[in-house]
Amino acid sequence: MSAVIKDVAQQPQTLVCLRNLNKHYGDFAAVDNISLDIQDGEFLTFLGSSGSGKSTTLSMLAGFETPSSGEILVSGKSLVNVPPHKRDIGMVFQRYSLFPHLSVRDNIAFPLAIRKLAAAERNKRVDAMLKLVQLDQFAHRRPSQLSGGQQQRVAIARALVYEPRILLMDEPLGALDKKLREDLQDELRQLHRRLGITIVYVTHDQEEAMRLSQRIAIFSHGKIVGLGSGYDLYQNPPNAFVASFLGNSNFLRLKAQGNAVATFEGQLLSIRLTAGLQTGQDTLLMIRPEKAQALSVEQAAAQPLQTGWNEVSAKVGEVLFLGESQTCAVLTQGGTAMTVKALSAAGMPLKTGEQVRVRWATADACVYTQWAESDLNKAAGAH
Amino acid sequence: MAGQVKMTAIASRQSKPVGGAPSTAGTAPAQVVTIKQTVVLSQRWKGSRNLFPALIFLGLFFFAPLIGLLLRGVLEPTPGLGNYEQLFANSAYARVLFNTFSVAGLVTLFSLLLGFPLAWAITLVPRGWGRWMLNIVLLSMWTSLLARTYSWLVLLQASGVINKTLMAMGIIDQPLEMVHNLTGVVIGMSYIMIPFIVLPLQATMAAIDPMVLQAGSICGASPWTNFFKVFLPLCRSGLFSGGLMVFVMSLGYYVTPALLGGAQDMMLPEFIVQQVQSFLNWGLASAAAALLIAITLVLFYFYLKLQPESPVGANNTR
Repeated sequence: MSAVIKDVAQQPQTLVCLRNLNKHYGDFAAVDNISLDIQDGEFLTFLGSSGSGKSTTLSMLAGFETPSSGEILVSGKSLVNVPPHKRDIGMVFQRYSLFPHLSVRDNIAFPLAIRKLAAAERNKRVDAMLKLVQLDQFAHRRPSQLSGGQQQRVAIARALVYEPRILLMDEPLGALDKKLREDLQDELRQLHRRLGITIVYVTHDQEEAMRLSQRIAIFSHGKIVGLGSGYDLYQNPPNAFVASFLGNSNFLRLKAQGNAVATFEGQLLSIRLTAGLQTGQDTLLMIRPEKAQALSVEQAAAQPLQTGWNEVSAKVGEVLFLGESQTCAVLTQGGTAMTVKALSAAGMPLKTGEQVRVRWATADACVYTQWAESDLNKAAGAH
Repeated sequence: MAGQVKMTAIASRQSKPVGGAPSTAGTAPAQVVTIKQTVVLSQRWKGSRNLFPALIFLGLFFFAPLIGLLLRGVLEPTPGLGNYEQLFANSAYARVLFNTFSVAGLVTLFSLLLGFPLAWAITLVPRGWGRWMLNIVLLSMWTSLLARTYSWLVLLQASGVINKTLMAMGIIDQPLEMVHNLTGVVIGMSYIMIPFIVLPLQATMAAIDPMVLQAGSICGASPWTNFFKVFLPLCRSGLFSGGLMVFVMSLGYYVTPALLGGAQDMMLPEFIVQQVQSFLNWGLASAAAALLIAITLVLFYFYLKLQPESPVGANNTR
C-alpha cells in the first residue's frame, strides 16, 4: 500500500486539473470553487454524503454538466467545451446503464463500432475484454439475463474496451450486496494495478474508499474538505469535519493553557504541541475510540501512567460486544460522552456503573482550534 | 432446482389415482415426463370451470354472430367461394382493396412521423408540462369523432380556411383539392390516429433510462448515432404496437373515409356498407368483412412473432 503511494509521489504527472470549478443551480452552489489535480495513473475517490457535490463534479468531468465557471484541463487542454462523446473518457454508472437491446458482446463492442474499427480488431479486443472480466461464456446473453455483479462487469468492460485515459465510476457497486461488492472491489483494485489507468471513483461508502483508492477527496457542501491517502485522512484528519466523517471519534472541549497544555473539565491534560495557541482559547481534542484505553480502578493502580499519556476518570455507561471488537461508552465527570474500543481478544472486563480511567497517548490525539458545531455531527455534509 | 423437486413430488403424489403409473414410473423415464406434463396441464386448467358463464356469453353474443356472418360469405347467394373470387377478380373491387391498404399504410406512416416527435416532446419537457400536453392529446381523442371530421371538412374544402389563406398569400391560383378524395382521408385519419401512436410510444419512451443515453454518448456516440443506435431501437416496441394498432384500426375505419373521401375512391368498410344498404348483397359484404378479419389476424400473428421481448421493461425491473 505505502509502496504504491510512494510510487505515485515520485513521478507526480498531473493528468487532470480542476481549476476553481463552480456549478450553481440558481442560488445554490452544488460545486463551490473546487481546485484539484488528479495524477496520471492514480486511483482517486470522491467521498461524501449525498448532495455533497461529488457526483456533480464527476458529471462535469464526463461532460454531462457544464461548469458555471472554472476550467477542466486534461493534459493541459481545456475540456469545458468538448461534448461528452469527444472526451475519450470511460464511465461506469451506478445502475450499469447497459444497452438493453444489445447482447453482452455487442454492448462491449459498441464503443468500437462507433469508432469504426475493423471487424477483426474489434472482435479481438472484445474477446480480450470478455476474458478480463470473466464473462466469456455469457457473451451472447442480454444484460437482463445477467446478475447485478455480472452486469456491472459488462459495464466496466464497455468502459475499458476503447482504452480511455480516464475511467470515471459513479457509485458503481452501490446496488450490489456486501459480499459481491467486496469481491468486485478486489477485482477493481487488481484491474487498476494491471492496466495503470487513471480512475476517479465516487462513493459514499468510506470503507470502500479506503479499500480501493490511493487518494481520497472528501466532499462537503460542494467543497473538498480533505485530500490525501486514507491513512493520513484517518489518523491525522485535517479538520474536525473529516475527523467526525471518517470512522468514529471522541471530541473533548478544552481550554488551552499554552502551546502543549490544556484544561479539560478543570483537569490539566497534555496536548500535541500546537503553534499559536493562546491561553484560554477554546480547542477541540479528537481521539479515535481504538486509540483510547479504559482501565478499571484496580488496573489503573497496577499500571502507572506512562509519560506522554493522559488520563481522565469516567463512569461506564454501556459495554457492547461487536464480534471482533468491543466498545465501551463512558461518561466523564463533566458529562462528556466518550467511546472506547478494544479488540475482543484483548478483553475489556468492565460493567455498567463502574468507575474507569480512560487513557490515551498525547501524540494520538488531534487538536483543532477552529470548527463548526455541525462538523461534529456524523450526518452533516449534505446540504 | 427446488422447484423441480417439488414438481416431482407433486407428480408422484398425483399420479396414484391415474392407476398403474407409480409402478412403471421408476422404470420408464419417458412416462414420468408425460405424467408430469399432464399434471402441469391439469394444474393450469384447474378452476377453469369458473369461466363457463363468460364463455357462454362470448359464444352466444360474439362467436355465434361472427360465424353466422362468415358463413354468409360462403353460402350466399350460392354456396362456394364465388364471393371471394369476385372480390379479387373484379378490378373495381380490387381497387377498393388497394385503396384500403394504401390509405392505412400512409396513415400509419404519417401518424408515426408526427406522433414520434410529439411523444418525445411529452417525455422530455418538465413533468407538469408533459401531463398538460398528454391531456391535450387525450382531450382531442375524447372529442366527438364526427365533430373532428367535420372540422377537417371546413378546413380543407375548396372555400376553406387553408385554401383561402394560401390563395391570399399568392402561393396558389386556384383551390387545392384536399377533400372528397384520398388526400382528405389520409389527412383526417392521420390526425385522428396520432393519439394511438403517442400513448404507447410515450409510455415506452418514459421507461427508457436516460442514463443509457448518457452511457451511449460517453462511449463516443454523437447525438445522431446515439439516436439511431440506442434511442430508436429502445423505442421499437412502442413504435411496433402503436403502428400496428393504427394500421389495423385504419383498415376498418368508416366515418372519416365516408365524410372526407370521394364516392369514386372507396375503402373496404364503405364498400361493405354500400353492399349491404344499397344492394342487399350480404354474401359479398360478409366476404369483405371476413377478409378484414383475416388480414387483422395475420398482422397480429406477425406482431406477436416480431415483437421483441420488451428490452425496456426488462431493464426497469432492476
